[in-house]
Amino acid sequence: MKYTLFLIGMLFVSLSGCKDDYPMDEDGLLITTRSECYVSSFELLGADFQTVRTKAALVDTVEQTVKVEVLFGTDLKNLYPQFSLVTDAVLDPKILGKQDFSNLDTPREWTVVSGNRKVRKTYKVYLTVQK
Amino acid sequence: MKTNYLKIGLLSIGFGLLLLGSCKEEAYEIPKAKDGLQNDIIKRSLGPNVVGATIDFAYAAAILPDQGKLTSIAVEASIAGDEGTVLENKSYYTSSTGADVGVVVGDPATVNGNNMEVKFTKDTSASTLRYSYKIPAAAKGKSVTFTFRARSSNGQEVALKTEAYAIRNMDMALDLIGKDGAACFFSVADLKWYTATEAAANPDKIDLVYLYRALPTVTYAHSLVAPTTDASYLPSFTLPVGLTNKTKIVKAWTVRDQQLARLQYNVFVDDVDLKDKSFVDAPDFAINLKAESGIWLQTADGKYNAYVFVNSVNNTTKEMKVSVKRLQVK
Repeated sequence: MKYTLFLIGMLFVSLSGCKDDYPMDEDGLLITTRSECYVSSFELLGADFQTVRTKAALVDTVEQTVKVEVLFGTDLKNLYPQFSLVTDAVLDPKILGKQDFSNLDTPREWTVVSGNRKVRKTYKVYLTVQK
Repeated sequence: MKTNYLKIGLLSIGFGLLLLGSCKEEAYEIPKAKDGLQNDIIKRSLGPNVVGATIDFAYAAAILPDQGKLTSIAVEASIAGDEGTVLENKSYYTSSTGADVGVVVGDPATVNGNNMEVKFTKDTSASTLRYSYKIPAAAKGKSVTFTFRARSSNGQEVALKTEAYAIRNMDMALDLIGKDGAACFFSVADLKWYTATEAAANPDKIDLVYLYRALPTVTYAHSLVAPTTDASYLPSFTLPVGLTNKTKIVKAWTVRDQQLARLQYNVFVDDVDLKDKSFVDAPDFAINLKAESGIWLQTADGKYNAYVFVNSVNNTTKEMKVSVKRLQVK
């Protein structure tokens, strides 16, 4: 009898441990209460996975722009951008491989989505080539 | 209930005794040497087997001193090795500083067709000889096997046959020096640098141009570009007439192929890497190449895929030393 009560108790503890505290998005990432939504830093890698920046990228969270100067001779069609975002935020669309930045007149755009998935801010990435 | 407790108690004691019994320390005994002539082999080299590279082995043979001495060690390759193939007549040991020290145990190896043999001149019952097989062009795309044999003074003979080693289809060329303003035109088909005059005479063969420039506002340094590249990537340079190959180039870093670099990194570019490399949207230039970097390239006609490793660059002499692996894909 004692064992039966103990087992029932353990079952309740286990079930309560499985309760969902936060919902998840389609990628299995937690949707939290955070509403912050910004890019904190930006990196750009070439086909050899080495940086192509000449200096640190300029991230303007008010204007929602990223301005970066790349080395002379950078292959603009095959670049790997890397965004560092505020905690719990995600990027839309996701970056799944190399990106084409060869059209310098038209900046590429990515949207930052906050941890609570309610705030969306679109950043434009402007590239200039070292001359 | 009492019976259950008794059973559990007895079972625990039984397990305890079993554990104690298994912990008994057995005294170490020096293993007894096997009777008769013995042999063994290890392969010392790593990486794909490429024409021009070597396959290295260490072959050991031993017999109990009271049964006889070693008289000879021989090796037969299924395809004769290239010049530089050697069966050493030294047996090595490692000194206190970690260096390999060779002790001569026999006459230099004699060559007879595909066979090499060392006849022992020293009174020895155990020896390990090194064999380095220089892969010949005749073996390209084929498999090669090796049979090692040892003989002893008591008339015994033992042999070991290795597995079949596949020789790759790619070609390899090492330490090719390009010089800005001189031999700065590279041909993948010939694996050779050409001067402007030679390039003008063979324009269809030229896939890369090497330039060194110390420009004031941008970093150009040591660069490899296709003849068709934008003029801004050929600063202060007049291209010979007729060079029209638009070579596809992809920059690489940390692909320090051990056979090309001969450094400590265990990275190997193999046939499959060259075959499967994608050149979609690849540019025709690679600017600011540093030592130990490299480029993947595909020739304009799609005939060759290659990996060019930059062994060294020299700003003073304006030179670039490269080593190349190349595979014909079409």
